[in-house]
Amino acid sequence: MNISNEHIEIDGEDDVVELEPAAIADISVYQTSVTKPRTQSSTVTYLLLPAIFLTAALLGGLRLGATDNAFIFLKPALVCLVFAALSLVLFFRSGLLDLNGWLADDNSTLHNAANLAILVTLFAATVQLYNGLLPEQGLPFWVVGFCFFWTIWNNLFADFDAKRLLRSLIALFGLAFAVKYLILANLTTSPTGSWWQRIIDNPGKEAFTWLLDLPRYSSGTGYIQFFTLTLYLIGLFLIPRRARD
Amino acid sequence: MKEKYFHFLCVAMVIIGFVFIGFLYVSEPRSLAEVTTKGQVAIGTYQINRAEFDLGLADFRRDSFPAARSEFDRADPEKRDPATQFYVAYSYYREGWGRFSNDDALFTQGLAAVNRVILLDSNFRSADETLVMKTPIELKNELEDGLKITTSDFNPLKLTRERK
Repeated sequence: MNISNEHIEIDGEDDVVELEPAAIADISVYQTSVTKPRTQSSTVTYLLLPAIFLTAALLGGLRLGATDNAFIFLKPALVCLVFAALSLVLFFRSGLLDLNGWLADDNSTLHNAANLAILVTLFAATVQLYNGLLPEQGLPFWVVGFCFFWTIWNNLFADFDAKRLLRSLIALFGLAFAVKYLILANLTTSPTGSWWQRIIDNPGKEAFTWLLDLPRYSSGTGYIQFFTLTLYLIGLFLIPRRARD
Repeated sequence: MKEKYFHFLCVAMVIIGFVFIGFLYVSEPRSLAEVTTKGQVAIGTYQINRAEFDLGLADFRRDSFPAARSEFDRADPEKRDPATQFYVAYSYYREGWGRFSNDDALFTQGLAAVNRVILLDSNFRSADETLVMKTPIELKNELEDGLKITTSDFNPLKLTRERK
């Protein structure tokens, strides 16, 4: 606490100063900010976060062709939108986000529009993250999809705080990534050679590929989706509970 | 910087970002080069590669049709230029034409190409004096006639007809 001739400057909120009633009118009280500068916070919230979520939204549906590494842009299945909507409800319920802190009557229209834009990018990134982590078709799609639904549904009725939710999401998404890009990808045969050739070379893999209806993508797809998942989790870590006024 | 500038930048960035992502997922480019080409189509600045087109035209006139088509494909990768697509369709016709019988597979591909020309510009008319058929409708009729089996196919006088 700094006391000069006419000013008392208080660092933090715990200091209590008792003053003579007569002196109160002559005293100005300033509270210095101990938080990070406003510009830095705004840069993160209004520039970095949308950039992160937009990148995740762009890359979530991207796969690379097995033979020529050509781009394949997969549109998300309807169930990804349902999961993303439930996830957003979960974010609000757990206190990771405070809806009133993002959209409020007191804010200007532009401020509300910017906050809404960030929430929309978060939704789009979540949709595309599920698009990236859910197997594309066949039995694995239904099994992993059911596991996602089961977990999110249970979480909706559990007592969560933001930190526990983040840990739970890292575990959930990490496991889904491992299932799709480590286990299922390793059960898939390469598309080179004839069907007979592939059966003779690797009957087990060919059988799993056929039985589980596994699509064949280049190994680069796994790297892209790992980057997308990491980026999304960084975005969730950086997103503030309430947007600053 | 004032807070409202951050808000404005944020909204602008999100709108531009979603437009770009939407464009990619709708146009589905298969490489970075295709992103550029499809972007040119979207903003209306797409132009064919004139050098490749000229090479294709030279091969077309030498009756080297497969080579001509691959050059036309490189000249017009998005298949957006009616003149190039007309030559592609014409090349299928000329290659598939036979005095005794036509090649149905080539004629079918020619029909697909000529339908593209009609979609792009239904009033298209070729300025090439060396071509007998100048419009896509004429070419389409010729290709469709070639695919049908009619009693006139068994007319011996048909052997005297010439390729157009």
